[in-house]
Amino acid sequence: MAVRGGKLIAQLRTNQKEIVSYKKGKMGVSAVPGSGKTWTLSYLAAEIIASSRLAEGQEVLVVTLVNSAVDNFYQRISQFLGGRGLFPQMGFRIRTLHGLAHDIVRERPDLVGLSDTFQILDERETEYILDDVCHAWLNSHPDAFDAYLDLEQDDSTIDGIRRNKLPQLLIETASACIRQAKDLRLTPERILENVKKLPVPLPLLEICQEIYADYQRALAYRGAVDFDDLTRLALDALEWDNHLLERLQSRWPYILEDEAQDSSRLQEIILEKLAGDTGNWVRVGDPNQAIYETFTTANPKYLLSFLRRPEVIRQDLPTSGRSTRSIITLANYLIEWTRTQHPVKYLRDALTPPFIQPVEEGDEGSNPEDRPDQIFLSLKKYTPHEETQAIADSIERWLPAHPENTVAILVPRNQRGFEIVDELLKRNLPVVDSLLRSSTSTRTSAHAINILLSYLSDPQSAGKLANVYKLCYPSKGQDQSTRQRREHVAELIRKCNQVEEFIHPTPKRDWLQVLNAGKEDAQTLEELENFRNQVRRWLVGILLPIDQLVLTLGQDLFTEPGELALSHKLATLLRRAEDIHPHWRLPELADELRLIAHNEKRFIGFSQDDTGFDPDSYRGKVVIATIHKAKGLEWDRVYLVSANNYDFPSGIEGDQYISEKRFIRDNLNLPAETLAQLEISLNADEYTWYNEGKATQAARLDYARERLRLFYVGITRARKELIITHNSGRFGESQPCLPLVVLASFWETEKGITK
Amino acid sequence: MSALKLSTDQIHLIESSPDEKIFLEGIAGVGKTTAGVERLLFLLAQGIPADSILLLTPQRTLAKPYIDALLIPGVSAGGQVSVVTMGGLARRMIDLFWPVIGGQVGFSHPDSPPIFLTLESAQYYMAQVTAPLLQQGLFESLVIDHNRLYSQIIDNLNKAAVVGFPHAEIAERLKNAWNGEPGQMHIYDDAQECANRFRTFCLEHNLLDFSLQMEIFTRHLWNLTQCREYLIRSYQHLLADNIEEDTPIVHDILRQWIPQFRSSLLIFDLDGGYRRFLGADPQSAYSLKELCSTQFEFQDSYISTQPVTALENSLSTILKPQETAIKTLNPSIERYHPKTALVHGYFRFYPEMLDWVAKQVKQLIQDGMPPGEIVILAPYLSDALRFSILQRLDNLNIPCVSHRPSRSLREEPVTQCLLTLAYLAHPQWGKSFQVTKFDMAYALMQAIAGMDLIRAQLLAGIVFHNRQGNLQLTSFSIINPKMQERITLRLGEKYESLRIWLETYQQEPPQELDHFISRLFGEVLSQPGFGFHSNIKSGEITANLIESIQKFRWAAGEYLSETGKSIGMEYLEMVRQGVIAAQYLRSWQPESEDAVLVAPAHTFLMYNRPVEIQFWLDIGSRGWFERLYQPLTHPYVLSRRWLVGKPWTDAEETATNQETLYKLVKGLLRRCRQKIYLGLSVLGEQGYEQQGALLTTFHKLFQQWQSEGEN
Repeated sequence: MAVRGGKLIAQLRTNQKEIVSYKKGKMGVSAVPGSGKTWTLSYLAAEIIASSRLAEGQEVLVVTLVNSAVDNFYQRISQFLGGRGLFPQMGFRIRTLHGLAHDIVRERPDLVGLSDTFQILDERETEYILDDVCHAWLNSHPDAFDAYLDLEQDDSTIDGIRRNKLPQLLIETASACIRQAKDLRLTPERILENVKKLPVPLPLLEICQEIYADYQRALAYRGAVDFDDLTRLALDALEWDNHLLERLQSRWPYILEDEAQDSSRLQEIILEKLAGDTGNWVRVGDPNQAIYETFTTANPKYLLSFLRRPEVIRQDLPTSGRSTRSIITLANYLIEWTRTQHPVKYLRDALTPPFIQPVEEGDEGSNPEDRPDQIFLSLKKYTPHEETQAIADSIERWLPAHPENTVAILVPRNQRGFEIVDELLKRNLPVVDSLLRSSTSTRTSAHAINILLSYLSDPQSAGKLANVYKLCYPSKGQDQSTRQRREHVAELIRKCNQVEEFIHPTPKRDWLQVLNAGKEDAQTLEELENFRNQVRRWLVGILLPIDQLVLTLGQDLFTEPGELALSHKLATLLRRAEDIHPHWRLPELADELRLIAHNEKRFIGFSQDDTGFDPDSYRGKVVIATIHKAKGLEWDRVYLVSANNYDFPSGIEGDQYISEKRFIRDNLNLPAETLAQLEISLNADEYTWYNEGKATQAARLDYARERLRLFYVGITRARKELIITHNSGRFGESQPCLPLVVLASFWETEKGITK
Repeated sequence: MSALKLSTDQIHLIESSPDEKIFLEGIAGVGKTTAGVERLLFLLAQGIPADSILLLTPQRTLAKPYIDALLIPGVSAGGQVSVVTMGGLARRMIDLFWPVIGGQVGFSHPDSPPIFLTLESAQYYMAQVTAPLLQQGLFESLVIDHNRLYSQIIDNLNKAAVVGFPHAEIAERLKNAWNGEPGQMHIYDDAQECANRFRTFCLEHNLLDFSLQMEIFTRHLWNLTQCREYLIRSYQHLLADNIEEDTPIVHDILRQWIPQFRSSLLIFDLDGGYRRFLGADPQSAYSLKELCSTQFEFQDSYISTQPVTALENSLSTILKPQETAIKTLNPSIERYHPKTALVHGYFRFYPEMLDWVAKQVKQLIQDGMPPGEIVILAPYLSDALRFSILQRLDNLNIPCVSHRPSRSLREEPVTQCLLTLAYLAHPQWGKSFQVTKFDMAYALMQAIAGMDLIRAQLLAGIVFHNRQGNLQLTSFSIINPKMQERITLRLGEKYESLRIWLETYQQEPPQELDHFISRLFGEVLSQPGFGFHSNIKSGEITANLIESIQKFRWAAGEYLSETGKSIGMEYLEMVRQGVIAAQYLRSWQPESEDAVLVAPAHTFLMYNRPVEIQFWLDIGSRGWFERLYQPLTHPYVLSRRWLVGKPWTDAEETATNQETLYKLVKGLLRRCRQKIYLGLSVLGEQGYEQQGALLTTFHKLFQQWQSEGEN
């Protein structure tokens, strides 16, 4: 929204006015999708800074959920402050919980037993460690899980399960247990003490306790902590040193928390401490959009109970101009049905009011014109392949006619997204998939360096050398003759049998001279000559330490500041990897970089993709995203796919659950059972026993609750047009999910009434 | 006296009687050291024998102006001025009086000579002592890499020695100040256990680390009549510069010693104390003033221009409002305004900022600024940052140096080549190391002149065999002729000579690793056709490596022969683990060449060398004001100023940080004549936003200037 002369052009809506006129104390805001909560919170931050309520050295602390939101807030608040003639970067700090925890721990690392050079390992590295630890543990305890395996299968099948399935299940189970233990601030030693005191065995917990201990040792050996440690240690620091707490309380007299529905227990405790009893703390969230709860410690109950506290001023942001009235009607009906008619009574609290209200007529940013005819809730039974085809057909028809509109295909999980991306690419449709994995820029920059490192680790490979050529002399985006020439040259290099005769020729054996004799054109020869000189430089560079090598390659490859900054960061990351694994050589380091390029390792602020994805920048292209990544975003047309009872179970008969493995007896959900054992281990009450299977049932309901909200989030991403489809799943057994069936039936009736 | 233009005060001091005991104080840049150097020259000119003068500084770099002056031909007569640190003097005395003191102190073998440990060899022994305890689960709740753990325990021992308390009290002192979770306190007991064991180990094996050297000197030798008389007899004149950077135990010795000197000059920097993390104690240094009959205070800066002084005033007022400003000319006159002493570049990304720095340096040099008058400073200098800056300057043909070798020993390709070949030559070392065909190819690439990576890999792929840890090189002559042709016969021939040399060596009784490397270098690698031929840099690194191995052998040889381990193999293992980095090998100091210096800010301060231009990078970093957080040690709690039993809280931490920043900023500005360039990027090296205290201080300054402008 534009700002002119320090004043906002758009009129604030009544609810927004009430929120931005906040002065002090605790306030809780329940917002609906599209109600502009980030915007309102940014405005409030700017208001506080501009109204001189901050003393010297004080800041408004904004805490949000994901990195991409950090920059989003930063831009908005800076814009508001700049608009008022103030220093745009001063007076506030925006952090994710991990960022905040890092800030706190960095104040006094020694207080929590860390050296000043402590490292924070991201999920990639910790998964790697956990993978190692779990495999090692299974090797020494090959039969430990026999009691849980479904033994109604032949020996070779069971052997296969032991080899191929169990490690992954153990990793998932241990990971959930470790995370929960850290949230409860339990060390492996403490868990062991508790377990020893109990009269009954808790086998899953005992296994996970050992793995937790090994995992922590592996972290300590690397001088590192993981994200969960960071949060736990931040709280420790605040509890142990009152002066530190007082200093931070004084530094951050206002705390604004966004996405509070996904707050974890520790996040709440940390912010509560920082705010203090009389502090100023504003929590904004939408409990209906809490979608990060499974096997994490996040829970919307923290926000809901905060809203109910007597000292908390409660506000709602129920007005949204995002979607058409039809889409709002559907979303509201989903809330209504859940609350009153969901067949599983325990799930009726999954969605709560406020209901979404369209903005008043004449208000700027009013809802799009209603198009009830553009709502398609399909109950047609597709196989996954057929569903992909149907979506691709639909896009192929729709896209050319709507070049100015935005469109997204939302999937419940990445793999489904990749399948659809492949099909759309086959049909030459413009695809944007950066929300599916790591950001495009990370992948592009890391990928480029990876191509070089791969070649340098195998310099005799003509194929890899050709890839390097293609990187340096791309054919994409060139005129036809250049493109053809470069593709031809890449092919020539690929066929060069003896690479040394090209790169380091002898007087008698020079591949380039042979080519010359073969009458290649002068431009090609010149390009190859230059390329050869460049490659020679790089080949000598392999003697440099890895960080220096990557910096050198980065300088040669990139010109964009963001890319150069990223290569600097990659250099330090690979250096760290090498320090941790001193026996690694170039091939292993190249592999590590490949993982960085292909996996979730995201970097903050290095490209536009990371600094907040703007769907409006991709008009006429198809964005494919998981529903999780689509949170906070909106498109004119949304396809919500795979709406079946596997991806969106409802706790009813026949539904399937991803955490219940077919090879585990009694459909036990082992991560859930382990967490239940952990909980029991803390309970000194002699009448509380561990009941096997109870946690599995409870986890079904928790999962169903979260998936219902995920479904709601999917629907509310659409501005004008919404298409929901489902498929029969990998085994052909899945059915349309209950919410889809219910909404489809409601919509039929609604359409009838409208007609 | 030299042709320098000196102030009346300076002349007065310099020409004081050779029986005078003088205390000189002043802030940085007022000509104290200049007066010290001239006083030294004056004493010599008076015919005082050089060898009766003791010149004491807390570290050798600080003695450089004196050493330079003494190098002028004809300056000194009658032997040499003793230029020492107290640690150096301690070592000399121990060497001299070992037969008397060895048994008294409790060494198990007083009849055998003492073995002095360097920081690295001490770290090696600490690793030997501590590793078994780590296996037993000590320090489990601590997140730290092992090399740092060793160095912090050593640091504790050193602190006890230079502060002057028994090393057995380390844990108690740290525990008394601990303000965190009580359960965490056991790590101090663990550290104490390691320190005790290390000390016992040293006494058993005649090993003397720095802490033991200092303790023996201060507690035993200084009280030994023969030794004290020897010292008093030897030295009649004392010059001690930067006494504020020295430790309380040194001040204790000086307190007793000064009355015995005929003359003394103690120089004290009023804003110093940058080596607190090493035990520096300006307060105890200042208390020596009362022993001096003549006292001087210099005030007028010879270094900073008016705008720089005005900038110092402006920043000081923000950092410490109660402090009195230094008198300057009217800053409202444009050319005296602090603004004219400050240039800043503000960027989003880190490399953009580095580009800007390189460009500014180039411009300055084009405008006539000598490169040696420019320093580039950052609170921490990561390897990546150092490399990036040096590379940028190099590309612009700007001469530049850094504060330490750019690579540790294990990263140096020449070292890797030599050690790979050493490993191949010693099959008896077994399978403890992983040597891959990549290592082999890289070694060949360097060992043989003209060997490119492609051919090196081809060759290594064929001739190098690692059969379950048994390494073998096969002959070039037996490989496929086509392949021979690809690799070329010339390179093949060189490979073959190298292989035969290694094979022949294997037939002989094994030699010490340093001898082996020396021979390998001399007989093969430095010969025509081989990679180190006419390559001065490789020769230097080889010499460094040999020196490092020799030192290791001297320090650990006896112990290893007792345990039956091979020195060479153990050395390789230590290099691999990073215990031996050889970055401490030579006490590095900036060469006098005219080059841009890239260094951490604190290191630059300790060079005590004023320059025209300073670049400050990463001003948003916390490193400008934070101490190094080390969970096993604590520079303040283990200092003499700390009240034993008082808890160290965040309030102390904050106050200390503020004081550190204040001192650092003042210290740097007083070593700057013309301008400060601030390099600022929103996202730091790791991609995180930076908001440290120095950045906010500058923001405040800019805001002040902005409002001045508006008014």
